[in-house]
Amino acid sequence: MAVSDLAHVSKAGVPARAGHVDLARLSVLALVAALLLLPLLAGGFLLYSLSLCFANALAVLSVSMLVRYGGEVSIGHSFFVALGAYTVAIVEHRLGISIAVSLPLAALLGAGAGFVFAFPSRRLSGIYLAVATMALALALPEVLIGFEKFTGGFEGLYIAQDLIPGVSKALQHYYIALAVLVAVSLALAHFRKSAQGLALLMAQAQPRAAEAMGITRSWARVSIFTLSAALASLAGALTGFASSTVSPNSFTFFSGVFLLVGSVVSLNGLSLSAALVGGAFITLVPTYLAKAGDWVPVLYGVALVVVTLVANAGDLRRFLPRGRAR
Amino acid sequence: MTDVVSSDGLVAEGISLAFGGLQVLSDVSMILRPGVITGLIGPNGAGKTSLFNCLSGLYHGQRGHSSFAGASLKGLGPAQRAACGITRSFQNLAMCPDLSLLENVLVGLTLKRRSGWFSAFVPTPSQRLDQQEAERRAMAALNELGIASAAHDKPSDLPPGTLRLAEIARAIASEPKAILLDEPAAGLNAVETRDLTRALKRLMRPDLVLLVVEHDMDLIMELCEQIYVLNFGKMIASGTPAEIRAHPDVIRVYLGDDSDD
Ligand SMILES: Nc1ncnc2c1ncn2[C@@H]1O[C@H](COP(=O)(O)OP(=O)(O)OP(=O)(O)O)[C@@H](O)[C@H]1O
Ligand SMILES: [Mg+2]
Repeated sequence: MAVSDLAHVSKAGVPARAGHVDLARLSVLALVAALLLLPLLAGGFLLYSLSLCFANALAVLSVSMLVRYGGEVSIGHSFFVALGAYTVAIVEHRLGISIAVSLPLAALLGAGAGFVFAFPSRRLSGIYLAVATMALALALPEVLIGFEKFTGGFEGLYIAQDLIPGVSKALQHYYIALAVLVAVSLALAHFRKSAQGLALLMAQAQPRAAEAMGITRSWARVSIFTLSAALASLAGALTGFASSTVSPNSFTFFSGVFLLVGSVVSLNGLSLSAALVGGAFITLVPTYLAKAGDWVPVLYGVALVVVTLVANAGDLRRFLPRGRAR
Repeated sequence: MTDVVSSDGLVAEGISLAFGGLQVLSDVSMILRPGVITGLIGPNGAGKTSLFNCLSGLYHGQRGHSSFAGASLKGLGPAQRAACGITRSFQNLAMCPDLSLLENVLVGLTLKRRSGWFSAFVPTPSQRLDQQEAERRAMAALNELGIASAAHDKPSDLPPGTLRLAEIARAIASEPKAILLDEPAAGLNAVETRDLTRALKRLMRPDLVLLVVEHDMDLIMELCEQIYVLNFGKMIASGTPAEIRAHPDVIRVYLGDDSDD
């Protein structure tokens, strides 16, 4: 599978039409090439912002994946993001091991946590599931401060270890985050065509018909939540790595809401470009609007409402409990 | 009603189903033998789809018992019955709008797929083989029903007749042991109906259980060797097409009103 396959997943289920395929593929390739060459020109702060942007793009993808394949909304994915970030920090502090180990470990732990959360809540949907995820996000700061011995409490932990010794930190952060983002986009493009991907889309659109084909509702819900949490945790690991630090401040209740905003702004897209739009929005806007301070959540709120209403009015139904019919 | 001969087919015995105060099925029994195309007819609201749902595990009757190939289906949900080899089509088309027609049929093969979670994200040689094999089977099913040319279209771009046939293609693609079709000819034109009849006859094998619910009497009479008639949730008659045609109750409640339907 080539990078050009990224163009196929502009929306889960809407492959590019024949005439547009080449143009779409070319523009994705051009985008990746430009991002690969950018460090030749760009300065440290831009690289730093973009590394965070790539990591956040992955976190946005994890929420979009849940929306697309599960038809569900989570406002608590910051929990899984934090799990990944703290995995990297704690593995480094306790064991002195780099992200070569902690990155995959973060994804595994995220999957485990996602499963542990999803299994008991597999009968919840719509607003009820969203509220359950909110509980996760609200509990998070307490957990982080409660386990001070491991998490460093309010202060948090520094992440200093390099993956590739001798290469500048900024370049490492940038290229590793970019590489993982591109790899995940390719994996998601492949997933759209896989047996499991098709089964999840069917379970969401036609739950009863899907059951009659052997695809149970609980399987679908637990699977998609586990996958989404694994991806969120992977994103968190990269966020920690790219920002060289983790602390409870980075994982407030609002960070979970921001991820959802990022997903809505990117129209829940699963392509590389959609992810970049979402990631850029939630990374760069607060950086450059830092002066607005306390107003950032309000701006997000406004953006959320505007984008939802303008671009995707039909999706508002997702926030309501689903009727039992069909 | 215990029948030793029937134990290798799909058997429903004394099924009763009520929703609140509404008695939808009363003491309904049915034997679907392998190698025989069985028809189920009855006026609107007679309970045909409800009986279907009981057989495929979507509904669970308050009383009664069903078994397949001699094994009890008691307590099994739809997914578990699918795993036993029972597939069905839906009267109100159940297509996923995001998927192409081919992909919608591919989903019907989910239980036959061999690729694990790793190869769902990373291409592997075995996953590619599995994919090709599944696509081959799905295309064969679409071909069988004469709609292969629409394989890559979205359901929203296709006429209801094609979607109806795709619904059937999905039910047959996995080469199941029992196929339940709920009004397969609804919305089809005369040519499509004829093609469907031929396809279903071609499909018939000595070990296959096939049940067809239909309003189209000509289709049922031509297709089926054994016909059951349901009226107000009660099984009022069963027999060969000739017996059904001559059955006084059937003539009164069904053929009498609908003889040229
Ligand atoms: N889930 C349900 N809840 C309540 N009532 C139901 C339910 N399913 C079916 N019914 C009722 O059961 C009766 C039989 O319906 P059913 O769909 O089985 O009839 P049918 O023979 O398939 O009719 P048609 O020819 O119109 O498809 C109807 O009165 C219907 O309203
Ligand atoms: Mg019906």
